[in-house]
Amino acid sequence: MSKRIIQTQELTKRYRGGLLAVDRVSFYVTEGEIFGLLGPNGAGKSTTIHMLITLLKPTAGRAEVCGYDVSKSPDAVRRCIGYVSQDIAVDESLTGRENLELQGRFYHLPKDVLESRTAELLEMLELTERANDLVSTYSGGMRKRLDITEGLIHRPRILFLDEPTLGLDIQTRRRIWDYIEDLRSKHGITVFLTTHYMEEADHLCDRVAIIDEGRIVALGSPAELKAQIGGDLVRLKLGGRDGLPEEELRRELSSLAPVERVVADGAETYTLVVRDGERALPGIFSRLIDLGVSIESVNMKRPTLDDVFLHYTGKELRDKEGSGAYYRASAAIRRARR
Amino acid sequence: MFTNTFFVDTWWVCWRELKHLLGQKMRLFMTLFQPFIWLTLMGNLFERVAMIPGFPAAKYLDYMTPGIVVMVTLFAGMFGGMSIVWDRRLGFFQKMLAAPISRAAVVAGKMLAIGIQTAFQSLVILGIAWGMGVSFAAGPLGILPLAGLAFLLSMAFAGLSLSLGAVLTSHEALIAVVNFLTMPLVFTSNAMMPLDLMPDWLAGLATWNPLSYAINPMRGLFLTGWAWNELLNGALVLALVALVTGSVATALIRRSLA
Repeated sequence: MSKRIIQTQELTKRYRGGLLAVDRVSFYVTEGEIFGLLGPNGAGKSTTIHMLITLLKPTAGRAEVCGYDVSKSPDAVRRCIGYVSQDIAVDESLTGRENLELQGRFYHLPKDVLESRTAELLEMLELTERANDLVSTYSGGMRKRLDITEGLIHRPRILFLDEPTLGLDIQTRRRIWDYIEDLRSKHGITVFLTTHYMEEADHLCDRVAIIDEGRIVALGSPAELKAQIGGDLVRLKLGGRDGLPEEELRRELSSLAPVERVVADGAETYTLVVRDGERALPGIFSRLIDLGVSIESVNMKRPTLDDVFLHYTGKELRDKEGSGAYYRASAAIRRARR
Repeated sequence: MFTNTFFVDTWWVCWRELKHLLGQKMRLFMTLFQPFIWLTLMGNLFERVAMIPGFPAAKYLDYMTPGIVVMVTLFAGMFGGMSIVWDRRLGFFQKMLAAPISRAAVVAGKMLAIGIQTAFQSLVILGIAWGMGVSFAAGPLGILPLAGLAFLLSMAFAGLSLSLGAVLTSHEALIAVVNFLTMPLVFTSNAMMPLDLMPDWLAGLATWNPLSYAINPMRGLFLTGWAWNELLNGALVLALVALVTGSVATALIRRSLA
């Protein structure tokens, strides 16, 4: 088994005001993994990451990072990790090179190491030509990549990324994703990230912990988590039931072999969890027609992490996060599809 | 509190602050132009104050120039906390604290940068005042204690401001508190008026005001020349206040991480 580079046991944070932000969270991350903490705003993601990087003290429980206890040996933990905050924390009044060098100074790199490391990272960023321009002249995506790269100056074993693509447009987001995957494949670095974008967790992470109200509600690879839903999601909107009572209809639908679960979604709308949905649909249709029920519309999809979140918490991940052009666009597309 | 990298860390935090100052041409220009306006306006406005019997200087401007140095220094120091509020909002603060640098160095570096800035400002004010005919009794070497006192005084108040910045998370709140404190600090000192001409209760307050510990020795440099006792006494008190306010700021930053 590969090495556990992060391990927490019942990690808990209660703020001075009494708010329980993280509640007995236990998980581990193995070396070389991209591990994601997925949850809505206020779920406890940032609090968890801040305890792991020694910016907050846990109230109870333990966390070990690179084999060091975060409460007992914070400086050893700091030397072993790189941290990139959710803000694009590059200094606009300095040049790209100065930003990288200053970061290296904060990690006490000797001058010769600092120079070679800076040159190497500028090369990797394809920024060598603009290295001496002020960061205020860089694009948003460029700044974020510089920000992430600064976290690598001291060759950390783990890179912590707090909401790495927050507020970036979709093209930039994809470039950042490619960049993070590259870092892992070329440098073998472990990546711990938080996100409330389920596409990000799905696309990037080997394993995902879904967190809500300070507790981990599900943990596994995106494929495993989606498999836990138990099938495809078929959403039916009915035109009329011909006097058939709702209870009866649900019983009839549940009795069909491929149907795992039936959830009423409001007025005359039902979501069915169905194994092998494509093949099951005709059978469901003919049963409904036999019962004299008319179907107004139907929609089938594979489960996403969003559905996993809904499954475990009874809440929608997306509805909590309505901001960002990308989400407005994707919401519009979903509306158009219905 | 002090790790063996403290001084190096302090320098790099300070370096960044100085880069910010030098990178902003307008801010740089204003820090130099503002004292000129103050000297011109106040020198003329209060010209006749010097005729009050018992006033210790022949010209009000001679008396007022060290007062201007102290006011400029105080203002610069009192806004020192802005950088911490700003850094926190940018995420740069968290980035520094996630690195293995001393927390005290984050405070000390910011204080040092303001100290260096005001030391230079004090010399610019002296130059302008000299051009306007103000006499400087201590002679050319007197610029060293003048700059040194400005350096210490601004660090003392930068420490206070950074303490506020460690607790207050918005610019608006910090500006409000700083504005609330600044003018009373000036008026309860002998920056504008000699103690002898103040009401007793105000003069009593002024003797406790750290500003007075900068103004008295500075005024000595302008009006009478070198007074070692007063200079050393002032420098010692200001250094002590800076140490206390800086330690408080560091402690508050540590507390915010608990």
